[in-house]
Amino acid sequence: MPALRNKDCNYISNKEIKITFDGKSYSAYEGDTIASALLRNNIRLIGRSFKYHRPRGIYTCGIEEPNALVQILNEHNEPNTRATVKKAYDGINISSQNRWPSLSFDIGSINNILSPIFSAGFYYKTFMGPKGFWKKIYEPLIRRTAGLGKPPKNFRSKSIHQNHNVDILIVGGGLSGLIAAKKLIDTDNEVLLVEQDSFLGGILKNSNKVKQIDGKNVFEWVKETEKLILKSKNIKILKNTLVTTYNFTNHLIALEDKYSGKKIDVSKSELTLHKIRTTHTILANGHIERFISFRNNDLPGVMLASSFEKYIERYGVTPDEKPVIFTNNSSTVSLVKSLINLDCKPSAYIDARKEEDIEDETKEYLSKNNILFYPESEVEGCEGNKKVEKVYIRNSNNKISSINATMLCPSGGFNPDIHLFTQSKGLVKWDDKIISFKPDTAFQNTITLGSVSGNYEFKNLCNEINKKLSFLKVGDLNLEIETNIRDNLSIKELWETKTNKKSKWSKSFIDLHNDVTTKDLKQAINEGYDRIEHLKRYTTNSMGTDQGKISSINSLGIVSKILNKKIAEVGTTTYRPPYAPLSFAAIAGRSTYEYYDPERKTPIHNWHIKNNAIFEDVGQWKRPWYFKKNETETMHQAVQRESKQTRQSAGILDGSTLGKIEIKGKDALEFMNLMYTNAFTKMKPMTSRYALMLGEDGMIMDDGIICKINDKHFLATTTSGGAPKVFAHMEEFLQTEWPHLQVYLNSITEQFTTFNISGPKAREIVSKVFSDIDFSNEKFPFMTFKTFNYKNTQARIMRASFTGELGYEIYISPQHALELWELIFKYGKDFDLVPYGTETMHLLRAEKGYVVIGQETDGTVTPIDINFNWMIGKKKKDFIGKRSLTRSDTAREDRKRLVGIVPLDKSQFIEEGQHIVECENLPSKIKTPIEYLGHISSSYHSPNLNHCISMAMIKSGNKLIGKKLFVSTPKGTKNIPVEIVSPVFIDPENKRLTS
Amino acid sequence: MTTLISTDRVNIIQKNFQQILIRGDGKDQFNQIINKETFLQPPSKNLEIKTSDKYIFAKNSFDQWTLVYLVEQDYKEIIRTISNLNSNDEILASDYSYGQVYFEVSGENKDEFLNKLTQFDLRNKKFPDLSMAQTLIARIDCYIYKLNNKYIITCNKSYEDYFKERLTDLINL
Repeated sequence: MPALRNKDCNYISNKEIKITFDGKSYSAYEGDTIASALLRNNIRLIGRSFKYHRPRGIYTCGIEEPNALVQILNEHNEPNTRATVKKAYDGINISSQNRWPSLSFDIGSINNILSPIFSAGFYYKTFMGPKGFWKKIYEPLIRRTAGLGKPPKNFRSKSIHQNHNVDILIVGGGLSGLIAAKKLIDTDNEVLLVEQDSFLGGILKNSNKVKQIDGKNVFEWVKETEKLILKSKNIKILKNTLVTTYNFTNHLIALEDKYSGKKIDVSKSELTLHKIRTTHTILANGHIERFISFRNNDLPGVMLASSFEKYIERYGVTPDEKPVIFTNNSSTVSLVKSLINLDCKPSAYIDARKEEDIEDETKEYLSKNNILFYPESEVEGCEGNKKVEKVYIRNSNNKISSINATMLCPSGGFNPDIHLFTQSKGLVKWDDKIISFKPDTAFQNTITLGSVSGNYEFKNLCNEINKKLSFLKVGDLNLEIETNIRDNLSIKELWETKTNKKSKWSKSFIDLHNDVTTKDLKQAINEGYDRIEHLKRYTTNSMGTDQGKISSINSLGIVSKILNKKIAEVGTTTYRPPYAPLSFAAIAGRSTYEYYDPERKTPIHNWHIKNNAIFEDVGQWKRPWYFKKNETETMHQAVQRESKQTRQSAGILDGSTLGKIEIKGKDALEFMNLMYTNAFTKMKPMTSRYALMLGEDGMIMDDGIICKINDKHFLATTTSGGAPKVFAHMEEFLQTEWPHLQVYLNSITEQFTTFNISGPKAREIVSKVFSDIDFSNEKFPFMTFKTFNYKNTQARIMRASFTGELGYEIYISPQHALELWELIFKYGKDFDLVPYGTETMHLLRAEKGYVVIGQETDGTVTPIDINFNWMIGKKKKDFIGKRSLTRSDTAREDRKRLVGIVPLDKSQFIEEGQHIVECENLPSKIKTPIEYLGHISSSYHSPNLNHCISMAMIKSGNKLIGKKLFVSTPKGTKNIPVEIVSPVFIDPENKRLTS
Repeated sequence: MTTLISTDRVNIIQKNFQQILIRGDGKDQFNQIINKETFLQPPSKNLEIKTSDKYIFAKNSFDQWTLVYLVEQDYKEIIRTISNLNSNDEILASDYSYGQVYFEVSGENKDEFLNKLTQFDLRNKKFPDLSMAQTLIARIDCYIYKLNNKYIITCNKSYEDYFKERLTDLINL
């Protein structure tokens, strides 16, 4: 590890680790980031740029890094990881990205040679023609070359979510955040302090700017303060946690890396997404240093000055012993001091300010240490082969000289890190003193402290915090902060230096992340994109995951100069959440794979599994779709077998998922008459009735069977998927439209397990199971029900059917459901009882012509459309949807109506969803639209009729019975000739049903 | 009763409770009927609960109450109570005993643990002892009753396996 080590650095352990970068092993220390580890080994070339594949190095020391993005091979190939943030650990295997075949020799760098044609708006202008090229050539090619890293390998993340409800959230555990937290120790406020780093201290640990606090060395002060906070009962600290999003109502999202600096344990959760709801948010998230645009400002070896200092002070690694420093402000003097402390010396100190504007103290310090000093000068550019080798300086007389150097550290000033503040919809204002935007008016309960509020003066910090937090009525805290630098930033406006362009391939970048140059900005403005939001999109400046952290203000500066406007007039673009990339795994949390959606199971579920049920999802319910008799049986065979057996002997369906609602009250009858189309007034107690529920638009919303216990007490069933909606619909009308009705509702879906036994042998089976009940036709006619006691629980049997066969629905407490189900099978064995699933249920009901809500109906179907005129209580004064049934559109004659369809050639099968047309063949090329008469809503092969039966919704279908039409097929142009028939295919006289 | 999770900081036990869901207007006559049938006085304040070792009586909303029996009753008695309550036009009582599952959550870290599954603010100042709430836990609709040192959580029985898996899954992560 040849790079100089700062032995005074307290934050890096002495434990050596091994890392691998592009297949080569290097030594580093525990606590290093990938970037500090590579710099420690003098690795400067880290990756290739997004568009031009230009060589890129490490530009910063934090989340703002635009260049050093790498792929972590041993973490399921995680791409686009910021090397400046990701902690290294023993065995980490890193790869550079966006290069082929190697980092030093990348074929893609041909884009740099072709770069003169890839200017702003290239994509918009270039791929306009010829016709057909976009789909076949441009898009595939762009897709192949797009992106940086390779997609990650299949990995099952175990990320979790953690919700917090606190009084105060402090974002940032730097100096301001720590002072705020210290003030809140042992108060009544519940406080959460979130720090993106693995330790607290922020600038105190990243630079030598602060010497002492209250007479204590900063390291001691941070340690002591942290101890006090941890001891307090009201403050919790989250480290390695980055706040990425600030939503409305003080709801913030933060991402915690639980394996920072450690190898991921795949059995544990590696990330926690914190969802924080707070009353007040204190933003103490600091500032970001910005760069200056100059020729080749992207070469490896160009690194922001404060980042360079951070590597020295925090990671104990000195990236270069003789860097050139280029500044427009006073902050860089602390880097010079850090270098001198290590017996290093900058090759040159270039200051854009006039000599008289530079502090005497700085000048004296530079002179005392014999450092080459260029006042009122600029870096014209730098050159080198994949690294900085030569720096060109333009002095006050406009003369250019050069010096040899391998690193160049620019500092263009600092931007308050206002991303979160603007996400919260806070308003910002321009400050001429710091030449940046800073927070102005908060939209939520947001307080900004320290440099994020534009206050770079350490001496004023306590005053600012005491003042801004006075509303919390906590005592003032006055600390004596002694600094190594002057508080005054004394900054000069400088966004871009004048360039003596030496080649077509020299570039002055404004957005390193997206390869946008200052020339692109100028060109975009020339082409009319002079509004900053348009310009952003046209050039892609400040877009993507970087969101222009180090460059957005610079681009505003350049644009304002071209437009001859003030920056405040140009305005800012919107900083969009998240502040830094969030993985989909973190957002999804545990709501993936087996927990993707909550699962509901009936009390019989385990029996179904034991009996080879194949399940289908119905809402959140797991319902048996069909039961496989043996390994080789296909779904079609199983459904045909189940259907045939049910019609021949008996079948049983687990219908527990049906929604059930208990309705009671003195006005229950009136309520039911209003909710459903049917009339219930004359309905006898202890009878049941199939009923339809409409929306206010007159369209069918749900159906079910209504059991009338008496005029004041009803039980209603609903479809499985529609249960919550129907219950909410009923409650809404009770509470908003008819509050005068005394009616109460309870959902009892879960309180009763339901079995449907159907088939000619159904009566014999239930008679054996419930020997006390007389199931004869006379005593137990169709559409009646009985309640009875089953093992001290209340049970109910209703004679009803959804198959067209003799059928009974049994409602039993879940406590006894499985034993009863097994008992039914015990008795049913002699009668060839078969369990059947939802697919057979659909087939059987289609044979009988029963509709399924959501299959024959789609929210645009009225009762008349499906021939249910008989279900409308015509004498009823009112019901939901009644008025809509008389609208011209719902009453028109040529609406689509339900019909049955059979193929003329009985060996042919009709697919669901196919169109019904009048022509036998479709032309191979359709030039004029073909009239569409309707569509197939259900289609099955009936084992009982031995041919395909279909239900369809056809225009004026009720008038077309007996006619011959055609149904399209998924393939080919030949349509299937069919006959329009009644939708009831089996037992139209209801003999089976009422037997 | 089954112990699902037992750590030094979180304990979750599945309980065999019984429950009646009652709806009515909460006026004097309603209170008298409830008192006559259950010998209990229904709470009058929304989201308030009354409790003893044997029961939790909670007011869920302006017209809904739950009566949870913490000690197993003769089921016939529960059915009889429901039947008697339902003999009054102004009350609807439904048996919720076995269509629901019941979990007792206790331990020092119970709030932090549950907040991995729900955004609900469990802090004492927002959710005081002897109050209840209806909220989403692990994305399913649950009732949560706050007793002095523990929570009783109930949800639909159909979610039992899913809910238990989510609870045990989290404790291991």
